[in-house]
Parts: sequence; structure tokens; C-alpha cells
Amino acid sequence: MSTLYRWLINICLALFALSVVVPLLWVLMTSFKTGAEIFTAPWGLPHTLQWQNFVRAWQEAGIARYFMNSLIVTLAALAILLPVGAMAAYIFARYPFRGANWLFGAFLGGMMFPLFLTIVPLFLLLARLGLLDTLHGLTLVYVAYSLPFTVFVLTGFFQTLPQEMLEAALIDGCGHARAFWKVMLPLAKPGIIVVGVFNAIGLWNEYPLALVIMSSDERRTLPLGIANLLMVEQYQSDWGALFAGLVIVMLPVLLVYWLFRDRIHETMVAGALKG
Amino acid sequence: MTSQARSAFMAGFLLPATVLYALFVVMPVVQAFAFSLYRWRGISANRTFVGLENFRQLFADPIVWLAIRHNLLLFVGTSVVILAMAIALAHAIGHETGTARFLRAVYLFPQVISLVVVAILWMFILNPSFGILNATLKAAGLERWAIAWLGERSTALASIGVAHVWHALGFYIMLFAAALRTIPPDVMEAATLDGAMGLTRLRYVTLPMLWAVLRIALVYMAIGTMNIFSLVFLMTQGGPDRATEVMLTYLYEQAFKHSEFGYATALAVVNFVLVMALSGAILALFRHNPQEGRA
Repeated sequence: MSTLYRWLINICLALFALSVVVPLLWVLMTSFKTGAEIFTAPWGLPHTLQWQNFVRAWQEAGIARYFMNSLIVTLAALAILLPVGAMAAYIFARYPFRGANWLFGAFLGGMMFPLFLTIVPLFLLLARLGLLDTLHGLTLVYVAYSLPFTVFVLTGFFQTLPQEMLEAALIDGCGHARAFWKVMLPLAKPGIIVVGVFNAIGLWNEYPLALVIMSSDERRTLPLGIANLLMVEQYQSDWGALFAGLVIVMLPVLLVYWLFRDRIHETMVAGALKG
Repeated sequence: MTSQARSAFMAGFLLPATVLYALFVVMPVVQAFAFSLYRWRGISANRTFVGLENFRQLFADPIVWLAIRHNLLLFVGTSVVILAMAIALAHAIGHETGTARFLRAVYLFPQVISLVVVAILWMFILNPSFGILNATLKAAGLERWAIAWLGERSTALASIGVAHVWHALGFYIMLFAAALRTIPPDVMEAATLDGAMGLTRLRYVTLPMLWAVLRIALVYMAIGTMNIFSLVFLMTQGGPDRATEVMLTYLYEQAFKHSEFGYATALAVVNFVLVMALSGAILALFRHNPQEGRA
């Protein structure tokens, strides 16, 4: 391959990488600027680092509360989703029964229906159950809508585990349930971690369901809170705090993503190509 | 263990997931089709069966046609750009080297940050008073190009398309890169020996071998753009003057601003049918690989 061609290719690759990184760095840089600097020198470096932007975002703009709500909902959803999803996936992978294909298909079908097809009936159902605008209502909905992907990936994972391990446990007098909790689930830990991280990122970022389900300010999740700050007139004057808020939403996700990037990538490709 | 105990164990393990899923996903899906046949205003049980009236009204609603048009424009516009860039960059990223893995991780950043962040980020880039796009244009002496991108009817939809491409591109680069790695290296070598380089090799060797993934990617893009919501809702709310209205922002308006639950659900059903029809058409149109059997 000619050197010129190689160079051209490398420049294209670098340009796209820059188009991703530069806007993100711009947000980071702007979050340290004064309001005046943001307007007068959009490309300039901050004169002095305005850490107060983060303090104001955290304390006055309500980011602390939104952050806690997101943390509670994400962790609670994972705490229910992972065991419940793993249990179902384990049966699908290891205990054939009549109608299993049908039920499994019904679970996977959930990935096909767009969220907005169900949004009105879901909204009315939650209203009737008294779960509208509550953190536990949002948590349960998050669990239900994360189940198809979770069951799909974990079923595949349980199928790869050696059958002999289960048989040995059963011969040793373990019950089926005990064999699952003591032997199979620990073996499935790598799969559980990937699905957990995947769902954690998705739920932390989730917007449309939270938009429809949550209405009071004190129960807003982080994406909802940030979006609201943008729309509320009074904060449009405090751009510094708003940019700081954006950094606070992005940073945890990017850190977790960077730690698990290769596993996340594999899961994404496998899910897309098989699904 | 008796078979009865075994059945009890299986049922117990399946039950929690099945109940949650049936209650919050399956039942609402079924209800969606039923609700679309009612006139239903507000949360009260005040609903009347009107048959296909909502659908009749919907097809006479010019905003629905406008929204469908915008969804289709977004699909066609962004998928052409995404396909061209994704295949070129996936091709360029080459084999699993350290640099390739690093770039791949960076390319996926827009995919892992919240769409809310993507939307706000692009609103700031395109902001007429302090956005970096206009600042750059002014610095380059292109003052008259510096406009309110999201505020102009002529540029608002395209601006949202750009944000969507930025968000989605990394995923498709990765998808095509994974597919390219499954092509046996000797096929590529043979093609090179036969003198097929650059675009020729892309057209006669690479693209045909990518066909299956290409089909899937197009279906994904159709689903993604027909169901676009957050970006539009946050960046323009469908404005200015409905210039960026899409199916789901209109659905949201009908359901959660006007409490027209029946009408909104009918919109959801139409949108779902459209997505299925479009996906089916793509799968059928791209069933046959034009190069197959010729190579």
C-alpha cells in the first residue's frame, strides 16, 4: 500500500477521533470559565479555573439531589434486575420445558417494540397503581424494560458453562436452587458484570421514560434535571453551572466505560450481529 | 429430586421476571392496540369507543404527514452519511492493533454518554451567541454563514441530523470493523494480487462480503431514525414552526400536553407499523447481493 494512501487514511481516522474528543474537551474547558468568558472567548482557555461553577451546580442548581436520585434508581434497578434476570436466563439455558421457546421468544420480542408504543398505556397503568412520579415506580419500569437484553445475553452465557459442574453439585446433594446460587451464579460472574455495567450505563443515561414518569423536581434523575435546567429561564444566565452539570453527568459514565471498554464492545457487536 | 419439586423450582425461578415483564411490557403493548380505538382524554376513565376514527383523523392531519416526512428525511440523509463514513473508517481502522482498539474506544464515547448530553452539547456548538461553530466561521471570515442553526427552518432538521450522525457513527464503524475482520485475509490478498485496489476492491470484494451486515445496519438505522425523540425534543421541541416535528415528538405533545391518549396511541401504532414496513422493505430489497455469483 502506498505511503500517501496510508497517510490519508490515518488523517481521516484522526479527524473523526478529534471530532469526538474536541467537543467533549470544550465542555470540560467551558465548565471552568466565568459567564463573561463563555461569551467573549468561546475557544479561549479559562483565565482562572472557576471551581465555583461546580459548587453552584451541585448545591444551588440541585445537581446533588438529581445525582442521588439517579444513583438510587440505577442501583436499585440493578439489584432487582440481575438476580431476577439471571434466574430466568438460567432456566432458559439449562432446564428445557414445554413452551420454553415460546416464552423466550416473548422475552426477546420486547427488544423489537419501540418504547413509545407502550408509553401511554404504561403511563396510565402507573397512574392507576399509584406509581407515577415515584422512584420505586421508575425502578420497576427500568427493570422490566431491561429484562429482554439481560435475559438474552445471560442465557447465552449460561449455555457456555460446563454441564459437569452442575451434575457434580447435584450428586453432592445440592438442590437445584442451591446449585444455582452456590455454583452456577459465581461461575457466571463475568457475564453478570458485563450485563450489569451495560445496564448501569443505559439506566444512568435514560431520558424518555423518566421524562414521562417523573414530574416533581425533587424526584428528577440526572439527565432529566440537567435538561430541565436548560429549559428553565433563570438558569440560562448561569452557563458556567450548566456546563459543570454536563461534566457531572458524563464523567462517571466515561470512567466506567473506559474500565470495561473491551467487554462492552464485544457485547455490543455480539448483540447487534446475533440480534 | 422429584419432578414436582423440579417443576416448582423452575416456576419459582421464572416467575419474578415473567410477572414484571408481563405487567409493564407485554400488557401495555397489547393495550396500545386497544387504546388506539378509543377517544380518551385525561386520566379519568372517560373514554368512548370510536373504532378507526383516530386513524381517519390521523391521516387527515397535515402535521402527521409532515412528521413522517421528517422521519424519512432523517433516515435517508443520515444513513447515507453514516454508511459512507462508517465503511470507510472501518476499512481504515484495519486489524486489531493497539491504536485500533484505542480509536474504537474513543469513537464510542458519543454512544455511551446520555443523549441529553449529546443534545445539549450540540445546542451549545450551534448556539448563535457563543457556539464554537459560529465562532470558528467568524474567525475564518465567513461571517454571513454564522446563523442560528437551530432557529432557521431551513437548517434545523439538518442540524439535528448532524448531531444524530455524531452520536451513532461510532457504533456502525465498530459493527463494520467487526464484520471486516471476518473476511479471510487470503481473499483480500488474492484480490490485491489480481490488481483490485482501493475503490475497485471496495466495490467488488469488500462490499459484497459485508452484505449481511449492511442489511442489518440499514434496519437498525431505520429503527433509530423512525424512533428519534430525545435529540429533537431537547434541541428544538419540533420547532421552529414544526420544521423538525417527528412522529414521537408529536405523539408526546398529544399525550402529555393535550392528554389526547387515544389519538397519541393511534400515532404510536402507526409509527410501529411504519417501522416494521420499512424494515421489511429494506430486508426484501437487500436480500440479494448484486455481486453474488459474479465474482
